[in-house]
Amino acid sequence: MPGETHNGMQCSEFEALLFDALDNQLTGAKQERFRAHARACPKCGPMFAEAEAGQHWLKSLAEVEPPANLVNDILAATSGIPSYRLHEIAARPHQPSFGERIREWADSLLTPVWSTVRQPRFAMSFGMAFFSLSVALSVAGVKPGDIKQADLSRTGLRRTYYTTQARVVKYYENIRLVVEIESKVQEIRKVTRPARTNEERERERNHKNNTSGEPEPRQERNYSRDENQPALASVPQEAPAVSVTTIRRLV
Amino acid sequence: MEDAQIVNSLVRRCIAGDAVAWEEIVQRYNRRIYNICYRFSGSADDAQDLTQDVFIKMYRTLSSYDIERGAFMTWVTTMTRNLLVDHFRKTKQDRLTDSMDATASEHEDSMLLREQIPDKGPAPDTKVQSRETGQVVHEALQKLSPELREAVILRDLQDMDYRDIAAVLRVPEGTVKSRINRGRAELARLLQRIYRQVM
Repeated sequence: MPGETHNGMQCSEFEALLFDALDNQLTGAKQERFRAHARACPKCGPMFAEAEAGQHWLKSLAEVEPPANLVNDILAATSGIPSYRLHEIAARPHQPSFGERIREWADSLLTPVWSTVRQPRFAMSFGMAFFSLSVALSVAGVKPGDIKQADLSRTGLRRTYYTTQARVVKYYENIRLVVEIESKVQEIRKVTRPARTNEERERERNHKNNTSGEPEPRQERNYSRDENQPALASVPQEAPAVSVTTIRRLV
Repeated sequence: MEDAQIVNSLVRRCIAGDAVAWEEIVQRYNRRIYNICYRFSGSADDAQDLTQDVFIKMYRTLSSYDIERGAFMTWVTTMTRNLLVDHFRKTKQDRLTDSMDATASEHEDSMLLREQIPDKGPAPDTKVQSRETGQVVHEALQKLSPELREAVILRDLQDMDYRDIAAVLRVPEGTVKSRINRGRAELARLLQRIYRQVM
């Protein structure tokens, strides 16, 4: 058979092309030669017809539907979770999270406001407000570049803690240094002041014992005029020139 | 995402313990595996049990599936075929496994198919369809030897290419083609005989 030739095709070549022909892969002249050989060859023709018929019968078989409980049985025997439970999870209505509810609430509030705000007549007002805010911020020394997102990571929090602690310690040390310097200066001033006389000490004692309530400068002034006051009191014993003239006019 | 990528993703999730991914795999392949089992065993009850066995084995050995070595479909089909062969061996005594070559008469074998099937009148498939064609073909399929049956099932019912079938059956591609050809021819002869009895 392999050596026989019909219509320009040997049986071996026909066999080689058999599956291509059954899979509809042959075209053109090759298909014509194949068909012609099948018609002419008493061996290859029936072989092809049988294979074609068998293939046709098999292709006519429709896919069967598995039993309805098959998937559930398989899942129960394997994962132990029946399918309906998974379907329940999938079919369960979506419960909005707290954040989503907040967002919805904010949207319901902001949407009407935003639609009003977007009107052109408010454009100049918002422009001025923005300008004022920018000026206020620049005067206050706030730079947009300085604003950054807080680092809330574990490392970032630790770094912030140590930085703040270092600042506090540094501030405390500076204050302490200033106080120590001031106290030293006062001590030096006390040491360098000249020794007080006994008179001064007495005056200071009197000053401490004085409870009259008069101002200290006036007392000092009175004390300085102790000797002058009697002289002033004896002056009227001599008649002044002015007084004589006045008497003559009257006469 | 391509189908192979989806399947590989499902397999990875399933190995990680995702029950939803496992159900997705079951939903994807139960129909195909059930049909292979049904066409090979011939019984709906056996097919249901065998399909369940396939998935139990798949669930236990899913971690051994190597994505690099081949398609998941080929792996699943190989597993199914191995279980079918085991089942066939266990129930060998209860089954009629003779192929048509053993039962057909020499006279019929010597006749050409075109002589056996008259060209005049309606085609034989049309007549058999009138008496539940599918069931007749299905019963005829059970008469084939298991080697020929599995080959034609994978090729003509599951549309697998010859290379994949060769991988599943662990035989050369030429052997696959030979079995398919013989299986088709035997089935045609068997159905021809049924057709003649009906006539």
